[in-house]
Amino acid sequence: MSLINLRVWLKIPDAEAATVKNTLARRMGYGDILADVKKERLFSIEVDSGDVQSDVQSDVQELARAFAKELVNENKESHKVLIDSLEFEEGYVPVKVALHIEDGEAISTRERLRSRLGYQNVVDVKKATIWKLYFRTLKPEAEIAAREVAERLLINPHKDSFEVLSQS
Amino acid sequence: MKIAVLQFPGTNCEFETLVAVKAVGMDGEIFRWNRPAAELSSFDGFVIPGGFSYQDRVRAGAIAAKEPVMKAIAEEAEKGKPILGICNGFQILVETGLLPGKSSSASKSSQREESSSASVMLSSAEMSRPGIDMALAQNVMVSGGKIVRRGYYCDWVNLRHESPIRRCSGSFAIERGALLKIPIAHGEGNLVTTTPGLIKQLNESEQVVFRYCDRNGRIINEFPYNVNGSKESIAALCNEQGNVLGMMPHPERAFFAWQLPAFDSRKQRPDEPGPGRKVFKSMKCYIEVNA
Repeated sequence: MSLINLRVWLKIPDAEAATVKNTLARRMGYGDILADVKKERLFSIEVDSGDVQSDVQSDVQELARAFAKELVNENKESHKVLIDSLEFEEGYVPVKVALHIEDGEAISTRERLRSRLGYQNVVDVKKATIWKLYFRTLKPEAEIAAREVAERLLINPHKDSFEVLSQS
Repeated sequence: MKIAVLQFPGTNCEFETLVAVKAVGMDGEIFRWNRPAAELSSFDGFVIPGGFSYQDRVRAGAIAAKEPVMKAIAEEAEKGKPILGICNGFQILVETGLLPGKSSSASKSSQREESSSASVMLSSAEMSRPGIDMALAQNVMVSGGKIVRRGYYCDWVNLRHESPIRRCSGSFAIERGALLKIPIAHGEGNLVTTTPGLIKQLNESEQVVFRYCDRNGRIINEFPYNVNGSKESIAALCNEQGNVLGMMPHPERAFFAWQLPAFDSRKQRPDEPGPGRKVFKSMKCYIEVNA
């Protein structure tokens, strides 16, 4: 099994991230510590990579490129592929938000890849939003604040869960 | 009797809602979200209409719930004034914590706003209780144990009034068991909760105001009767005091008989009131009785 993580973000300004930044700064009292908010979509695609062979890694890379072609609109989005890992840059706190109830969009994506596009080795697809919170404070405080932001705005605990991810 | 019909960026049912408010004999005006929130105290009741406030960014109702006007609405709710949230208005009331209001979340969240500059000082116990009792999640239509459809759906639905007469401001003048045909149009109306015992509690305290049903009033917890997968076919809830009502269906779109669908014979009698009128008349009755 291999896990293809596809990070996708807009090249154009992200209005949703701007609204979140604005709400946190102007309505929720984070103006002093919050510098910026950015957002990414994350597809985590589990594929059956078959028997262990020397060219498995290159096959998975090839598959990842094909998935990106299907799931990313190059006209407005950029992406990054990570295989069996999920790393983020320094300078922000990444917060992963996903549904803990059934995710219809993720199921549709899996079915589209498997049934419509013929990628039978796709085992599972999970979708999440990565909120990239840029704080003016240092790491321990920034991570505490990120957790608080997630609980106060980014999730509804009755359907969403979140995870503060560590950077590379 | 003056009603404020709230307008957020992305609200799109405010004008027909205002028509409905005025047509039952109440005075009303559209109240933009960026007006001074303190002005809300001069109104006798409030309607948060449907639409897509802030384009449903983050999730439906989440951003609007943080606006100062919603803090003022929570204060007016404490005074017992009637508040009706329709569709996106219901989602906003849930995100504000005013509905179902079991954990007095509105007051908790306003305490947080005040202490927000020292945000990291919040205790972990407080953080583990976000103060929202439920969510209106993405629609999932289930039939025969299988998911047959997901996402946005619009149709005419039948509703059964579940609470006793005078229990809730928005159904104050509606008999228990009455059936109403009203349209829905939403993508996130699926009531889910992780709060243990919440649904039982809501049933016991008669806070479930409307349920989706078939044309004979039978509750069938399957699509196409339950149109969004909502727990126990719940379509509308009120708070414990009964003055705050949130409902996914749009009563303002069934206010006049001529708004009914072509297959309904009442459509041919345009002078007759539509079933949605009862909700607005109830609100008026509630204000008259509680004035």
